[in-house]
Amino acid sequence: MNVKQRTPAASLTHLIIYLLAFLLLWEWLRPIPVITSTGQIGIFVLFTFAASICVYLHLPVWAGIPLLFAGSMYSLHQLFYAESFFSAAGFMETLRRFTNEIGVNTAMIAGGNFAGLTDYFRSFLLLLLLALISYLLYYWILHTRRVFFFLFCTIVYITVLDTFTLVDASQAVVRIVVIGFFLLTLLHMLRVQDEDRRTSGRTVFSPAWMYTLLVMVTIAVAVAWAAPKPEPQWADPVPAFRSFAGLESSGGGGGTVQRIGYGENDEQLGGGFVQDDGPVLEAVVDEPGYWRGESKDIYTGSGWEAERDYVPAETVNEGGEEAVDFRLFNESASGGRGTAEITMAEETDFNLLFYQGSLVDVPEASAADDAADWGREDLQFYTDVIGGRTVVESPEGESVRLTDYRFEYDTPAYPEDVLRNAGAEDPESVTDRYLQLPDDLPERVVELAEEITAETDNRYDAAKEIEQYFSANGFEYETSDVPVPEEGEDYVDQFLFETQVGYCDNYSTSMAVMLRALDIPTRWVKGFTAGEEVDQTDDGRSVYEVRNSNAHSWVEVYFPEVGWVTFEPTQGFTNYAEFESETETPDVDTDSPDIEPEMPDVPEGDDVNDQLQEGTEEESEDGLFGSGSGSGGGMTPWQLFLISIPPVLLLIYLYRSQKRLQITWYLTAYQRGWLKPTFSQGYRRLEWMLQKEGLQRRNGETIREFGERVDRELHTSAMKDLSAAYEKEVYGGSREGVSWSTYQTQWEKIIRSLLA
Amino acid sequence: MRKNETEQETVIRPQLRALVDNVEKVVVGKRREVELSLIAILSGGHVLLEDVPGVGKTMMVRAIAKSLGAEFKRIQFTPDLLPSDVTGVSIYNQKTMEFEFRRGPVMANIVLADEINRTSPKTQAALLEALEEGSVTTDGETRPLDKPFFVMATQNPIEYGGTYPLPEAQLDRFLFKFRIGYPTKAEELDVLRRVEKQHPIESLAPVMALEELLRMQEEVKDVHVADNVKQYIISIVNATRQHHHVYLGGSPRASIALMKAGQAYAYMQERSYVIPDDIKYLASFVLQHRILLNSEAKLSEMESSRIIFDILEQVHIPAENDKAQ
Repeated sequence: MNVKQRTPAASLTHLIIYLLAFLLLWEWLRPIPVITSTGQIGIFVLFTFAASICVYLHLPVWAGIPLLFAGSMYSLHQLFYAESFFSAAGFMETLRRFTNEIGVNTAMIAGGNFAGLTDYFRSFLLLLLLALISYLLYYWILHTRRVFFFLFCTIVYITVLDTFTLVDASQAVVRIVVIGFFLLTLLHMLRVQDEDRRTSGRTVFSPAWMYTLLVMVTIAVAVAWAAPKPEPQWADPVPAFRSFAGLESSGGGGGTVQRIGYGENDEQLGGGFVQDDGPVLEAVVDEPGYWRGESKDIYTGSGWEAERDYVPAETVNEGGEEAVDFRLFNESASGGRGTAEITMAEETDFNLLFYQGSLVDVPEASAADDAADWGREDLQFYTDVIGGRTVVESPEGESVRLTDYRFEYDTPAYPEDVLRNAGAEDPESVTDRYLQLPDDLPERVVELAEEITAETDNRYDAAKEIEQYFSANGFEYETSDVPVPEEGEDYVDQFLFETQVGYCDNYSTSMAVMLRALDIPTRWVKGFTAGEEVDQTDDGRSVYEVRNSNAHSWVEVYFPEVGWVTFEPTQGFTNYAEFESETETPDVDTDSPDIEPEMPDVPEGDDVNDQLQEGTEEESEDGLFGSGSGSGGGMTPWQLFLISIPPVLLLIYLYRSQKRLQITWYLTAYQRGWLKPTFSQGYRRLEWMLQKEGLQRRNGETIREFGERVDRELHTSAMKDLSAAYEKEVYGGSREGVSWSTYQTQWEKIIRSLLA
Repeated sequence: MRKNETEQETVIRPQLRALVDNVEKVVVGKRREVELSLIAILSGGHVLLEDVPGVGKTMMVRAIAKSLGAEFKRIQFTPDLLPSDVTGVSIYNQKTMEFEFRRGPVMANIVLADEINRTSPKTQAALLEALEEGSVTTDGETRPLDKPFFVMATQNPIEYGGTYPLPEAQLDRFLFKFRIGYPTKAEELDVLRRVEKQHPIESLAPVMALEELLRMQEEVKDVHVADNVKQYIISIVNATRQHHHVYLGGSPRASIALMKAGQAYAYMQERSYVIPDDIKYLASFVLQHRILLNSEAKLSEMESSRIIFDILEQVHIPAENDKAQ
């Protein structure tokens, strides 16, 4: 406590050390944009820098706190608004938003809804944390003169990120080591100087220190850099830990931790994802089927993009046959009309329709936003005649979130023999669009496609061969440990020839690309699998619940005279479409046995279908995920990180204050009479406590001198009396000891000033 | 010497305090030295003063003698002084036809042996027997000295020409060696004021009877010295033997002296037991003339008091309860 031997002088060395520590802290911030969706990390760095300066300058509390608060306001403003912070409007807006956010988020915290915290509030918390850390650093470095623990943590942090995420820390590690060398050495030098000052009264600072330091660090780094390094000797630990760490590497440059769900952007496929069981919708249907959201037609080598051509679904209100200008297949493949009633889950924010089969009409729908509810007659539907995406707009022309709707659709029943004999006379509009392939598609993909289909003589069989190629050739279904293609590597090529491990995006994209390579028009479809049957209505219809984890992608192949036919290349998934033929229904039977063992949680359901659907949950997907945080129930690592800060801080606090806690314990125990010491025991316990606080009887110091010194340090007078009594006890040679109770109050007095 | 300006005045026994106060009427600002002298008297030891002339050595010792109502003698040592000049001599009395012993100056309660290093070793030895044995031997007859018996010897540290430095064995016989030193300006002004008309020594009256002092000397022996304090004493003296700058360390007699002085000091403070603080305070006065520095230390002008100070800083002070051990 009061053994502060020195006030951190504003010396250059101190400043340099503190700056080095700041650089170390910066290393913590650098990887954040890569592993989270945080952008503009520069603002956080600037804020931290400002906070560090405040701390270093010893600003008094009344100046420092408001300054830091203003700084965080400014940072938040920079992060979330475009207007100038310094205009009155901008400032007011910030202030208003801030108070709002605090209110909302406090309520959420109180309600335990940590996942719901807004980005704004989280950013605020992060700023708060950074300010705290900059103080902590100051304390560690310039008061206790210890930084090794922080350095160690930094290295662990960086290496863990390097191992488990996309972060490439090879430069960072070098920087940290260099900074660390300097920090440790300079701190050691400071300690030596302190020691000098105490013993000889003067400070020896030799430039030789600095030169030696520079030379040594340079040599060490240079040698380490240039020395030959063997390849890693251990297997990549990632697969081993992934499953319970739940960490994900992200989809390449996109830089988000992927979570399963239906997202908009599929330009960068690949990487694993975390499961998300957040609900999407609940549907009452006759039969299970794919929930189609849209298809995409342009394969870029790393993902899918779509061209869109929206037309207003004008006729939809009239309920005509062709109410929707997008048909998947023609009459010949229709298995009859069905209806489905959908209730979207509250957490979702989709403005597009999910439908089964070929959408015919949407007779009922309602939508809502914060301000209003709309009925069917208020809503305007637009259909993308290319990808089949159907979106909804409010009367004001803003896209809205559907809350529930009912639609009619044609169920598919593809006549197999017609498909076999369909021929290859595709309309030009189809071939123009659906045979596209990137120019740099590796030739071996095409060769593989040709090889697989060498013995087929029609489009349907070729599609079937490719569809079943994967399960027949040892491809593995896997959601978490899926590599991301490297820069310039083709997504399909990687899956087919290198990893052979993946989930629906891998399978469906590969099938689509291979079919295109064979000049078979194909497109990539995304949506959800049928979901889990959770209930049955009185009239025998089924209630299905669809979750984010049911997100899925599959393939549609064009057949002249029939239309678009659904194929399901992904292992363990069922093609819900019916193929009417004399032959067996293909995939389910063959595939399911293979798959079952792989399905992670095998459900309670008792029929094959159920199991398959469960499997589906697991696998779902990912191409489809959005950028994480917004939608759902589970927590991202980012949230976990934030939430784990308080417990960690608590632990640190407990650790740091363990002495104090012990002292408090003895104080209480003696006061309450739980422990009944003799006077000597009490005195020695006191010595022990003082020692913990840095007040120790030195060699050559008598009890009396020690007592006087303690009194001086603690500004008490009681220790002198206690010491005199103890002295008598020790040297007096009298038989009866000193009574503890006589001195207990003085004993407590000292401990209180010790704790004060 | 230990600087103890910062230490508060020790609380001492009322009778002794009266004695010290009385001496202070004559000797200005030398309370610590007066106390040390009393400690020596109480423990039956003797003091060696090393100081330049004129700082009040004689006056102090005379004042102490007067305050005690004790017989005071002064011996000025010169090169031609003979042992019998110190101890006394038997003369043939022609009236009585007998040899009759004429008491020498050492046969008093309090003796000032001035410039002891100026006399021959033989004469020094005569004095030292008196110091150690409490008796003198002349003409084959041993005569006990009066009690109490206290010798304060002085040496002049600046004129070494024609002197006979005391041998180690003799230095060992003095309980304390210390300096008096010059007074401060204010003190010296005070001195001048006091002697302006009449020297205060003339009007000094006794404040304590010799019998009282003898009783106190007996009581001092009852002061308890705990084993761990004895250990501490031994550790210190031992450390002087180990110290790398010391050629000859403290003897067991040094340990005894330290303990006895500690008892007297504790007694003076009305404490019935010795504490390490007493020992620590006295150690340098007891030990500094009992150790011989090696040539290396002499070359670097190290002083023995400095070495003792170092030792005191290093030696662990036992603070465990005897009963707990």
